[in-house]
Amino acid sequence: MEAVKNALDFSDFPRLDLTVAGLVLAFLLVFPALPHSGFAMATMIQFLMFSLYGMGWNTIGGYAGQVDLGKAQYNGIGAYTTAVMMVRWDAPFWVSMPVGLLFSIMWSFIIGYPLFRLKGHYFAIATIATSLVLKDVFESWDFVGAARGLAIPIRANLPDFLYLQFRHDYYYYYILLALFLLGILYLNAFRHSRLGYQLRAIKDNEDVAKSLGIDAHWCKIKAYAVATAYVSVVGSFHACYNFNIEPEDVMSLDLSVLIAMMALLGGAGSLWGPIIGAAILVPLKSYLGDWLGAESGLTGLNLVIYGVIIMVIAGAQPRGVWGMVEAVRARRRGGHAAA
Amino acid sequence: METLLIELLKSLVSGLLMGMVFALVALGLTIIFGVMDIVNFAHGEFLMFGMYTTLLVSPLMGVDPLLSLPVCGVVGAALGMVCYFGVVRFLLRGPMVAQLLGTFGLMLALRNLALLFMGSEPRLVKSGVLVGRSLVLGPGVVLESTKLAAAVLSIVSFVFVWWLIRRTKTGMALTATSLDKEGARYMGISTERMNALAWALGGASVAIAGGLLVNFWPVEPNVGLLFTMIAFATVALGGFGSIQGAFAAGILIGMIVYIPPVWDAATSFAGVDAPTIHGFKYTFVYLIYFLIMVLRPQGLFGWKQ
Repeated sequence: MEAVKNALDFSDFPRLDLTVAGLVLAFLLVFPALPHSGFAMATMIQFLMFSLYGMGWNTIGGYAGQVDLGKAQYNGIGAYTTAVMMVRWDAPFWVSMPVGLLFSIMWSFIIGYPLFRLKGHYFAIATIATSLVLKDVFESWDFVGAARGLAIPIRANLPDFLYLQFRHDYYYYYILLALFLLGILYLNAFRHSRLGYQLRAIKDNEDVAKSLGIDAHWCKIKAYAVATAYVSVVGSFHACYNFNIEPEDVMSLDLSVLIAMMALLGGAGSLWGPIIGAAILVPLKSYLGDWLGAESGLTGLNLVIYGVIIMVIAGAQPRGVWGMVEAVRARRRGGHAAA
Repeated sequence: METLLIELLKSLVSGLLMGMVFALVALGLTIIFGVMDIVNFAHGEFLMFGMYTTLLVSPLMGVDPLLSLPVCGVVGAALGMVCYFGVVRFLLRGPMVAQLLGTFGLMLALRNLALLFMGSEPRLVKSGVLVGRSLVLGPGVVLESTKLAAAVLSIVSFVFVWWLIRRTKTGMALTATSLDKEGARYMGISTERMNALAWALGGASVAIAGGLLVNFWPVEPNVGLLFTMIAFATVALGGFGSIQGAFAAGILIGMIVYIPPVWDAATSFAGVDAPTIHGFKYTFVYLIYFLIMVLRPQGLFGWKQ
């Protein structure tokens, strides 16, 4: 009950934040009704997916301050569980998604236990290594289609809500939007939860947190499992949305880093940060790719620009967009107090 | 039995030769890490630039690919300096996250610059004194001359860098900075200059490794990531910041890469119906990396943790 109350309690945000959030929500709700191109729709779906990835990453990377660069492996576990169960046993999405979630969380406990003995960049690189090992395994494992990947057979009667197969993208959009809102509510509860406070204490000063009796190792593992859950669910969705999955698509290092980057660009450790980050980076990436893609004969230029933008952000504003907003607010409050 | 022995011998020698090149690849990473505690994701991309340099320069100057190595060194050093002064210097002010992401952005930019200018098809050096020749050590054990030369020159470069760091005044200043930045600064050693030197030295050594590698390993814009991971594993195994460690670990990693083929040969010889695992060549490297990090984070010879 307490958790539900916390999830719905947005009262500690300034009114401006809530107004903007309300306007964005209204826009998201009516977007499919507005005139839009198929490309814009696909970009919006990507935006929602990456917001969810970023929110998940934010629990471990933002609130707990542990830079995790291996999230793609859970995306892979979720996507593959759903795809394999659909292809081999004809199981609906709503069955395979929780199974994938279970696998992901189990795997996160297995590798989280040794991983969290590491700190800083040692932790970050070790998460990359685990993700790459898993990707190699999937690339040579015949049961899951090896490097060719898996293709989900298309159902006879569309739309099919059990198997998440639709002719129009807006079905996917609304399902994802529902997940997106649930994700925000859960994260809002998470902020106020015991674990949320413990994690922030660990981030500020791990030794002090430990001396207060917080089991830092176990807290991090729990937060890691929460992050994993978000990514795994989106992974399962991704399998249904794309019909076709390959290890290179669903569990590449690029995806892992992209997830972390969305959250960091927006501002890690804040509720809105990952959403802002995804809202900037996803359209940027897909429209750059569209303008400077294969047809223009400049393959690669889009990603060069993208890389440069990442470097500039990392160098100029490591606390992200939300960090800038908070800096401005702090200054204004300071000025007010002086006056 | 004989075929198995030959396979074992062949793998042992190949692993040894490959390992020496891996060691040179890892050397640059360990220098940079030792001096300034920064993890360079773009390391494999430096290697790729070295590979392309040899590929382009040797026909242009009409010399053998092996003679283009000094050019690789210069290109690598210049690239390292440009990256340091253009990007990395700004990342140092931020938290660790900024460094990880910043060098990842560098990796994306360099990789796709190569894609933009060189295209995506894999290329290999086709002409040269050593290309296509081989040394027969015994029945079935054949050494490609290119690999042998790469290993020998890799050792030469390694010894040169080791000498530079351990026996020259500048090198000692570099070591001093990596041991104690503040203390070194009191002695009048500019941290900024040492950082730049570390990037130049690191860039040069990995670009030379690339120049050696391209004689038998095709180059394409995405070649870097595998070598970045191998270099991470090598550096972790040898100990972050340790030069001797990088050498020993490089050879060890070279051997590890050849375990799967030997295993496959052994199972097929013994008639056991075990699944072949040669596809997992590099998985073992990542696994070793993970285990070393968890069980012995300071590596085999590390002094920094």
